[in-house]
Amino acid sequence: MTYRDLQKLGSLAGNNFFLFVFLLLGQSGGFLQVLLGLLLLFPFSSDPLRSIPSERLQQWPLTPRIAFALRLASVWFSPVAWITVGLIVWTKSFQFAATFVGISALFYALGSLFTWVPARAPRLNILSHVPDFGGSIGGLVRKNARELLSILDPYAGLVLTLSATAYRFLSSRPEPDAFMILSMLVALTLSTYALCLFGLDTASGFTRYLLFPIRGWQILLAKDVAFLTVLLILVAPLHLLAGLAAGLMALTVGHHSSVRYRVPQTHWRFTGGAPLTSGLLQAFLMFSAGTLVARTNAWVLLPCVALFAASLWYFGRDMDQAGLRSDA
Amino acid sequence: MDRLSLEVETGAICAFLGPNGAGKSTTVKMLTGLLKPTSGEAVVAGLNVASEPLAVKRIIGVLPENLGLFDALTVEEHLYLSGPIYGLSRGETRARTDQLLRALALENGRTTFIEHCSYGMRKKTALAMALLHNPRVLFLDEPFEGIDPVTSKTLRGLLTTVAARGVTVFLTSHILTIVERLATQIVMIRDGRAVWNSRPDELPKSLEDVYFDLVEPPIEEDLPWLGCSLS
Repeated sequence: MTYRDLQKLGSLAGNNFFLFVFLLLGQSGGFLQVLLGLLLLFPFSSDPLRSIPSERLQQWPLTPRIAFALRLASVWFSPVAWITVGLIVWTKSFQFAATFVGISALFYALGSLFTWVPARAPRLNILSHVPDFGGSIGGLVRKNARELLSILDPYAGLVLTLSATAYRFLSSRPEPDAFMILSMLVALTLSTYALCLFGLDTASGFTRYLLFPIRGWQILLAKDVAFLTVLLILVAPLHLLAGLAAGLMALTVGHHSSVRYRVPQTHWRFTGGAPLTSGLLQAFLMFSAGTLVARTNAWVLLPCVALFAASLWYFGRDMDQAGLRSDA
Repeated sequence: MDRLSLEVETGAICAFLGPNGAGKSTTVKMLTGLLKPTSGEAVVAGLNVASEPLAVKRIIGVLPENLGLFDALTVEEHLYLSGPIYGLSRGETRARTDQLLRALALENGRTTFIEHCSYGMRKKTALAMALLHNPRVLFLDEPFEGIDPVTSKTLRGLLTTVAARGVTVFLTSHILTIVERLATQIVMIRDGRAVWNSRPDELPKSLEDVYFDLVEPPIEEDLPWLGCSLS
């Protein structure tokens, strides 16, 4: 366990969904506690061998079996894992803790697959199947969609969507309002990314943005289209319009911090480190817009689109005038 | 940069030489709109870089110092992304991509993600991006460093050919033997100032000797523990 590993917990600070789950913890059932446990666990559940330069790793006398065992065991090197399990045993039961361990092992295995398999078998990389979106900036949208799918936020949203879909089909009388709220919760899982849209871009990528003969709003729009596409797929089985309204508001607020304060993000982690005030404003507008659209009619989407377009134009112009804040 | 004044004729291959940290890459950044000069102006093909940035970006092809690549894309996807942005149709982009990948010996690695590519492959991908839209002016920051001899030869032939039909090439390099054979104009800088600017046939002695005289003398140092003396 190293100091650097402890710093990974910082990725949860400033994550809207994490803060929301944390606030609801006292009143929540087991589901949210398991979710919080997983959120806490994931910053430590990366492949420990990935942080070692590949040239150096090749010189180490590690057999494939030892390397695999190291990867499997890494999550349990973390004291957070043991503290979380201890808390669950204390507040719930041993069986509940065993379930948590099982679920986290499954998530970890999936996480390892997403990082380990693509490097060795590029054809099995599911992100390579993200299509080109067409148009002059379609290639940029594809790149941005892949980046978005290489952080954990959309997968937390996917867990919520799948749980809600199961509830819709398995419950004899599902609560109608539940899907509107869950739709906005799914949007909330992605909302922190909307505050750091350039967080996964490298200095090299920033240079290319600046070399392309396109305007700032087009670069920003390519980010937004990727975000909205992933969000709409996730909220389609729930409440599409409420999710769309929430997504538009998330981006409207997010453009400001994305363009003016670049917060670097790490692949296969939750997005974090975004300004708290922006996150709070974002959450307020998302829930207000989503509820209004769901409770009244789709015309409420028009002001949402107008606000989004104004933000896109303003911060796109900002990018043209000042350039992207980067070390390019 | 310090009061650098420089003019490159259409169709010239201008080699911009100097030691590390002399300001070569900074000059390329200012000419391509990546960096704003604190004073003075940069004009490319008659267009002011500061006041007409998009117009300049449309007509230039750039191999930047840090290559300008995206980890989330494969080699060929970089070209598929780039073509439509420069106004090429999808069919034309695909046809040119196929030809460029073959010419630069990237055919076998075309579906490899950039983060899994060697440095040479990444550099060739960035070179292909610079050439794809058939630019009027090429800015190449150290194009010959880190690439294999076959691609180096291909690139030399390619640059000579495009320059002959009017494309202006502005390149930086540390490989003086290649520069000597390729360039039609040689500019040397030291501490941000131009100390030489001429055609190669106007050099009083070999390029290397002029470079050592004007830019950076060879290092003389004894390293007895290695059993050698540099002089």
